[in-house]
Amino acid sequence: MSEAPASPPANRMAIAVMALVGFFIAFYLLAHSLGWTGSLLCGVGNCERVQQSPYSRIGPIPVAGLGVVGYVILLVVSFMGLRPAGRDSRALGVLLFSGGLVGFAFSLYLTYLEAAVIHAWCQWCVMSAIIMTLIFLASLPEVRRIRGA
Amino acid sequence: MAKFYWTLGVVAVIGIGAVGYQVASHKLGHAATAPVDLTGLDDPTALMRAAQAVTKGDPNAPVTIMEFGDYECPACGVFTLTVQPQIERTYVTTGKARFVFYDFPLVSIHATSFIAARAARCASDQDRFWQYHDELYRKQSSWVPQPNPINTFIGYAKDLGMDDSAFGACLNSEKYADVVTANLRLAQQLGLSGTPTIMVGLDKGMPRRLGDDFSYKAVAALVDQVLAEAAAQDSAEAGGS
Repeated sequence: MSEAPASPPANRMAIAVMALVGFFIAFYLLAHSLGWTGSLLCGVGNCERVQQSPYSRIGPIPVAGLGVVGYVILLVVSFMGLRPAGRDSRALGVLLFSGGLVGFAFSLYLTYLEAAVIHAWCQWCVMSAIIMTLIFLASLPEVRRIRGA
Repeated sequence: MAKFYWTLGVVAVIGIGAVGYQVASHKLGHAATAPVDLTGLDDPTALMRAAQAVTKGDPNAPVTIMEFGDYECPACGVFTLTVQPQIERTYVTTGKARFVFYDFPLVSIHATSFIAARAARCASDQDRFWQYHDELYRKQSSWVPQPNPINTFIGYAKDLGMDDSAFGACLNSEKYADVVTANLRLAQQLGLSGTPTIMVGLDKGMPRRLGDDFSYKAVAALVDQVLAEAAAQDSAEAGGS
């Protein structure tokens, strides 16, 4: 008697979808910082002020570029974790959880900068922070997988 | 799984469409970033008519202090932020002189100075020329290294409480490219080669050019000298009549 294949983990599917949304937001901000777009669409807040602040770069690297890389990593890892061979992988669980945690912590820091240092909000940054928070929450079930439960 | 792939596909199509549209529409924009072709400016009178300075102070003041400036030039920044306020206090607000600014973007060495000059002109549409002018000099170190500072300039407009969409529409066009080009041509016609160039003169006759010392002391000495000459001329005319 053969066992029915386990269904792909729903949390990883959710992470993949949210990482793709986050990727496009981060890519839009990166394209703007590289001068590829006009002024940012910004219904709420003062996106330009945030994007032109010294905190929008770490040395020569735009923060949005880090976002693009982070979201791509999360997308790729979550996809690998959806393949039958990767569903029970402890290493992928560790990567997803730690990626979600680092992204969430960094988003918290950036949100603090907007609120307390720059004194301006960028709606795209806030959306990215919300997505990163949701990704972190969606990565919590990975803790159970890592513990082997 | 099919539903998952459908969702990913929809997100990808929307994302590529939205970001692609933003990038493509920007590429299609045509902000003038370099001097434009202007015909008929070989005639000095036509050139003087086309060149337009921005003036501060009493238009009937006896003395005119002229600056030919470039927004990327660090010395112009120092002059604007430290010397010009003293000049204004002593001579402009007292009605002894008016201050006049001409754009002189050194486009061969300063890639974004032309569009910066246009940005200040766009600010004049909302009566904020001088505030914007000062802002460009104050934030020189932040926008000069950028290959395309258009968005930064729009951000400055917003920070100054201007209508940033109207400002952006002006900047992303060719507006004022003719004026800035004419000012640049005027500076070249006058044989100027560096910035800032400060000239002080009366209504008639050739203005005197300040040397390489742009300190307040040097400017004040020249203005006082021109004022004294004007007074002497007036008294001679009064005595002769």
